[in-house]
Amino acid sequence: MIRSLRIISASPLSLIGLILVAVIVLAAIFAPLLAPFPTHNGSVVDFAFANQAPSARNWFGTDLVGRDIFSRILYAYRISLVLGVVVLAIAVPIGTLVGLFAGYMGGWTEAVLMRIVDVFLSIPPLVLAIAVLGVLEPTLTNAMIAVTVMWWPWYARLVYAIARSEREEGYVLAAEVIGAPTRHIALREILPNCWPAIITKMTLDMGFVIIIASSLSFLGLGVQPPTPDLGSMVAEGARYLPDSWWMTVFPGLAILAAVFGFNLLGDGLREVLGVQE
Amino acid sequence: MTLLRVSDLSRTFQTANGPVHAVRNVSFDVQRGECLAVVGESGSGKTTLANMILGILTSSSGDIAFKGTPLPAKRTPAQRRAIQFVQQNPLSSLNPKRSVGASVRLGLDTYGIGDRADRTRRVEAALESVGLPGDMRRRAPAALSGGQRQRVGIARALVCEPELLVLDEPTSALDVLVQARVLRLLNDLRRDRGLTYIFITHDLAVVRNVADRVAVFRAGELVEIGSTEAIFSSPDHAYTRRLIGAMPVVDDTELDLRNRLAEGT
Amino acid sequence: MTALLDIRDLRLGFRTLAGQIDVLHGIDLAIRAGEQVALVGESGSGKSVTARIILGLLQETRSARVSGRVGFDGRDVMMMSPKERAALRGIEMSMIFQDPTSSLNPTFTIERQFAEVMRRPDRKLTRAACRERAARMLDEVSIPDTGRVLDAYPFQLSGGMNQRVMIAMALANNPKLLLADEPGTALDVSVQAQTLDLMRDLVTRHGTSVLFISHNMGVVREFADRIYVIYRGRIVEEGPTPAVFADPGHAYTRALLKAVPRITGRGLPDVPEVSDDFFDPMVRHGGTS
Repeated sequence: MIRSLRIISASPLSLIGLILVAVIVLAAIFAPLLAPFPTHNGSVVDFAFANQAPSARNWFGTDLVGRDIFSRILYAYRISLVLGVVVLAIAVPIGTLVGLFAGYMGGWTEAVLMRIVDVFLSIPPLVLAIAVLGVLEPTLTNAMIAVTVMWWPWYARLVYAIARSEREEGYVLAAEVIGAPTRHIALREILPNCWPAIITKMTLDMGFVIIIASSLSFLGLGVQPPTPDLGSMVAEGARYLPDSWWMTVFPGLAILAAVFGFNLLGDGLREVLGVQE
Repeated sequence: MTLLRVSDLSRTFQTANGPVHAVRNVSFDVQRGECLAVVGESGSGKTTLANMILGILTSSSGDIAFKGTPLPAKRTPAQRRAIQFVQQNPLSSLNPKRSVGASVRLGLDTYGIGDRADRTRRVEAALESVGLPGDMRRRAPAALSGGQRQRVGIARALVCEPELLVLDEPTSALDVLVQARVLRLLNDLRRDRGLTYIFITHDLAVVRNVADRVAVFRAGELVEIGSTEAIFSSPDHAYTRRLIGAMPVVDDTELDLRNRLAEGT
Repeated sequence: MTALLDIRDLRLGFRTLAGQIDVLHGIDLAIRAGEQVALVGESGSGKSVTARIILGLLQETRSARVSGRVGFDGRDVMMMSPKERAALRGIEMSMIFQDPTSSLNPTFTIERQFAEVMRRPDRKLTRAACRERAARMLDEVSIPDTGRVLDAYPFQLSGGMNQRVMIAMALANNPKLLLADEPGTALDVSVQAQTLDLMRDLVTRHGTSVLFISHNMGVVREFADRIYVIYRGRIVEEGPTPAVFADPGHAYTRALLKAVPRITGRGLPDVPEVSDDFFDPMVRHGGTS
């Protein structure tokens, strides 16, 4: 742990990533304590302060109905992070298991599983998500389902490639000679060797999931008002550009900071965990 | 007593360029307690042969009998347990993400030998029998030298209490000083435990010093088999003589012997 | 006569998070023109990094700290710019690696790879001239049917054939120094013996100096005129091959020789893996500089 921190801090960029991610995560967790206007999380209106430029009272300005944008960004981070964590918590195990068994067992298992993965990968992700949300109601839960459906195949492919190469390693041969069950070889021998790559990809993907979720809300397909969401805040504010620039710029910067932070941290982790490209 | 009998064993692989006969009509016996060296270059079929004896590859025809009983395609745990394996590359033979103890214990877990505490005791005893401290079971393989890893590989096989060990180039990836120690260890273990070895190697100088008998393979066929004494005093087959002639040597007595054997005089 | 390669007090350390790790502790090594010298040692002794420093490859690695003098043909490789060092490689000095098949480019024919090598000193060389010279080089390493081999891709040739191609290619520009890092170790013994004989003949005919890096005492004995034994980043013994083998002076060399199994079958020797006297001062045999 200490060694890992030292490696990360050896590279200034990954250190920036670590700090950004830490600040965002803490801000999201403690949003109710940190937000100057915690009630602005919902459908509050305060027309006296509507459409205000950034000031000492409202650091990032206010929106059309007078809600504090800084407070809403903190709450929006909560939604984004929860969404990212839930999506990855479902997509990663599915993708990992599919890739692991396809890669280790080969033959028919590999042919069937990987063709299914290919079908998913051949559809552009955003199109797939829009299709899913077209069938289902555009709610937060369904947005998560949509993003999960497009996300797991990438993990299947990553883990598949690693399992394929690990299959040739001597320790797998040793386990096969002893006669260890397939389940043991896949889950206990090969899977631990996939973790570094999976964890690195998960970190990088937190940023991407936030972008995709924001894109969906921007299109009106994701999180619905009055719940604060970075994507819908940008979409809403875009109608009042350039005069009320703060409505778009600050949520936009918030997305950028999250994506940038997770990416830099992911690159740092790649070093720490010794993941080969 | 015959421990392993290989009869008319063949294995053919289908490739894009037609069938390849990796092992062709091979027959030989292995006596209990002996060390039989299997010698050959790449493409000789020695790895295919080993994989069939270990039961991870089925034969195309012929059979392998262990203690008089033909081994089925799907072996029982007891049959697997009796024939264990030590491989060449100590860098890849241990899972980098598992502790030394977890790797050594695999056979005990798989065959359901003993309870938890008993398995730990057996793992420690196996490590000690190959000259490593028992508490090395807690370590990660990355912290071990090549020689130590190879000893762990031997302990992993020994913990199953096998009767036959298939050793695939067990020392060719090691430095010469380490090789000497590991070869001595293997010799001592065989003597003390009455083990039987099939020792696969390309190094005839090692063969000369560890094997009781030698089987020479070329292109899937057994070209010569005989006692180590006989092979190193008058090799019959021209291929055996060529292999001996290619051995690098370090002193003049060796050089004389090599040249004499290579010329077949 | 001055040495072609003259290494003085070469030191190498790698900076890591755990501090500096020293790999070479000040080695001296010299090779005269036309001399075949071996550097023998175990894995991790520093023999391969020495070759990389001579080729000027490690100097450009950020974490490496290299100091000392690497005199080559009257110039100091250490003082050269990366560009000057690159200009030496493949022309004045070249290298042969352990695994011939993986060090050739699988996507180009042998002819094209020869042309690439031969055009480095002479960009205007015509295709016909390249092919003719390449065929002559292949002929020198006893490759029959040179036309077929020139048109082939590396994966269509056997490992032994690729090794010969590598040797021919390494000598195509008539370098002054050839660095051979465990050549043929990835090949079968009989093929390895043949290619080493071939290489030996060829370098003798061309008067090429060779630094032969190996862990195998037997191979070294057949190939080298003179030997340096390296142990953990220190040269422990140096001398003409027959002298070192007949009368090894250093405890490490003695252990190394004793540990090699003999085809005369003297049993398995009892030698330690490590011993304090392996760190004794260096032993030089007389008659050399």
